[in-house]
Amino acid sequence: MERFELIVIGAGPAGLSAAIEAASCGMSVIVFDENTRPGGQLFKQIHKFFGSKEHKAKERGFNIGKNLLNEAEELGVRVELDSTVMGIFRNKEISVMKNDSVKHFKGNSIVIATGASENMVPFKGWTLPGVIGAGAAQTMMNIHGIKPGNRVLMVGSGNVGLVVGYQLIQAGCILEAIIDAAPRVGGYGVHAAKLARIGVPFYMSHTIKLAQGIDRVEGAIIVEVDKSWKPVSGSEKTLEVDTICIAVGLSPMSQLVRLAGCKTLDDPKKGGIVPLCNEYGETSISGIYAAGDVAGIEEASSAMIQGKIAGAAASKDQGYISEDEFKARQKKLENSLLQLREGMFGHKSTAQVTHTDEGYELSHSLLKKGYISDTELSHYPGIPTEDDLKDGLVPVIECTQNIPCNPCQDACPKGCIKVGDNITNLPSIETSVKCSGCGMCVVSCSGQAIFLVKQNHSPGYGLVSLPYEFSPLPDVGDIGYALDRLGNVVSKAEVISIKKTPVMDETAVLTMKVPSNLTMKARFFKPAMKEEKII
Amino acid sequence: MYRIKEHPILKSFQKGRLVKFEFDGNVMEGFEGEPISVALKANGVMVHRYTKKHSQPRGVFCSIGRCTDCVMIVDGQTNVRTCITPLAEGMKIETQYGVLNKR
Ligand SMILES: Cc1cc2nc3c(=O)[nH]c(=O)nc-3n(C[C@H](O)[C@H](O)[C@H](O)COP(=O)(O)OP(=O)(O)OC[C@H]3O[C@@H](n4cnc5c(N)ncnc54)[C@H](O)[C@@H]3O)c2cc1C
Ligand code: SF4
Ligand code: SF4
Ligand code: FES
Repeated sequence: MERFELIVIGAGPAGLSAAIEAASCGMSVIVFDENTRPGGQLFKQIHKFFGSKEHKAKERGFNIGKNLLNEAEELGVRVELDSTVMGIFRNKEISVMKNDSVKHFKGNSIVIATGASENMVPFKGWTLPGVIGAGAAQTMMNIHGIKPGNRVLMVGSGNVGLVVGYQLIQAGCILEAIIDAAPRVGGYGVHAAKLARIGVPFYMSHTIKLAQGIDRVEGAIIVEVDKSWKPVSGSEKTLEVDTICIAVGLSPMSQLVRLAGCKTLDDPKKGGIVPLCNEYGETSISGIYAAGDVAGIEEASSAMIQGKIAGAAASKDQGYISEDEFKARQKKLENSLLQLREGMFGHKSTAQVTHTDEGYELSHSLLKKGYISDTELSHYPGIPTEDDLKDGLVPVIECTQNIPCNPCQDACPKGCIKVGDNITNLPSIETSVKCSGCGMCVVSCSGQAIFLVKQNHSPGYGLVSLPYEFSPLPDVGDIGYALDRLGNVVSKAEVISIKKTPVMDETAVLTMKVPSNLTMKARFFKPAMKEEKII
Repeated sequence: MYRIKEHPILKSFQKGRLVKFEFDGNVMEGFEGEPISVALKANGVMVHRYTKKHSQPRGVFCSIGRCTDCVMIVDGQTNVRTCITPLAEGMKIETQYGVLNKR
């Protein structure tokens, strides 16, 4: 039986980070993952992450994954793929199944980082081919390059539903609608706004009643629910879709934790049954740690920090770092973790929040329909005043909820954007400083919530610059439509410039010319169909 | 129809060579090494099997080898999870009825 100082179960962000931290302290580490590919959820995430620089904000998930893997490799971490850990026994022995044969390994310490599994909602027809999990949709389109379907209904408006919905459109699918039984959009407003301005309808307080079709999905019937979650009869709508994508939450994969005999508790705030852990992630069994989604559903950013803490703690247990050194590392990591847990999404009871920490009223329209209404817009500190707009080019930051994120502040070389020390603060614009129009804030914003507006460019016309992440990229001179925040065509628009450089990491800044009075309304460019006449 | 030709972020996808395989007697094409389910999807195949008791259709659901909804008969072997089994040239893939290759 092979023996290692640290065994890590799961090669996602939590497991890899634990392995890296421990190996960098000098430990011999092996990581097992049942998947053919390492990285856990990270390789399916093609959007730019939130957080601050130390949380690897504005990097795309799959690039974070690549870097973690390289780091682990350089440190001599052994990563065993296609290897399912079946059991954990006393004395920290584990059994691993690979190619139908079972092997045993022994560790001085173990980090369990098995992640989460997707929840399901049963409805009539839910077993039909064409009903898939959001994770499956991501695996198909972002790993294997295949669209899960052509017309998709997304069930669930949490960040997973919103992000996967956007990725479906990037892959070339039509997102017919996004529904949620809850009365408010569950995920970040900035993610919702990206969908709304492309024209995706949001149906809050709606659930799916049935999937139509004999041997595959041919449609879906959705229905409104009242305050007690009962279907309102007569409110049914039929959607023509071939795919129904389910994103109704994740549950910690705590089977191994239980098999190991660790004490667990059922904590709805953490997504279900989780191991009872101390502040270092150590379970009730000394030397067995849990990190990442298995210890409570959170984010990749927090999973990485938890992994590092567990890796450092194991190194301390086995004398690779001193108690003091550990305390110092742990404190820094803990602070970084706390930053991420701040804000209205950190305490998982967002349903009650009505105002931001600063006291701004939350946009009702954003929570109900996915976009900020014209009347609500001017309340927020990232929005220029009428006078500011007369002055020339200004950034417009439509980021109105306390989310842990600040790349916009770091991006601006001029200091036009301020978030402050608390990364969940709303970004505000500093209009006394002149914006150069470089576009770095536009492409760095993980929420694609920053636009540049020049109200008076030529008589009667102004310019709007926006982040653009679709294929094919329009050309300068192309004529198309300007869409407002809810995806309605408001005018004809001409592409004036396209800026895309390597540092922008695949996000282009598209600048379009629209009538001056629409510069604070137009937020998306829709290319015209070939040979379409635009009047 | 389902393959993504140009992705705005990922650009293109690394694939093996184009090979022929057989699905319920029909010759189809897919890329060597990609999951069987992906090659089937590219050819418009949605139903992978029918359940034993009620003969209900099933297709890909989790795409990561966890739910077993996508199992089929591959080269004579039943219950093969097609979402995690790589496609090889000349593979013979059949719809699974219960545990058989016929209704
Ligand atoms: C659509 C979507 C968007 C997201 N967006 C963001 C974002 O913008 N920012 C952010 O920070 N986070 C985001 N997340 C969340 C983030 O991806 C997860 O929180 C994170 O991946 C959790 O990391 P983990 O290491 O705990 O688990 P995972 O990444 O799930 O990894 C767990 C690994 O363990 C393996 N495993 C499980 N059981 C076993 C076993 N018995 N034997 C061997 N291996 C096993 C699995 O195969 C898997 O590879 C998003 C998630 C989704 C689904
Ligand atoms: S465009 Fe450049 S100068 Fe202007 S606010 Fe954005 S980052 Fe700052
Ligand atoms: S505006 Fe700033 S804080 Fe808001 S999502 Fe964009 S980068 Fe993050
Ligand atoms: S789709 Fe779930 S195992 Fe293949």
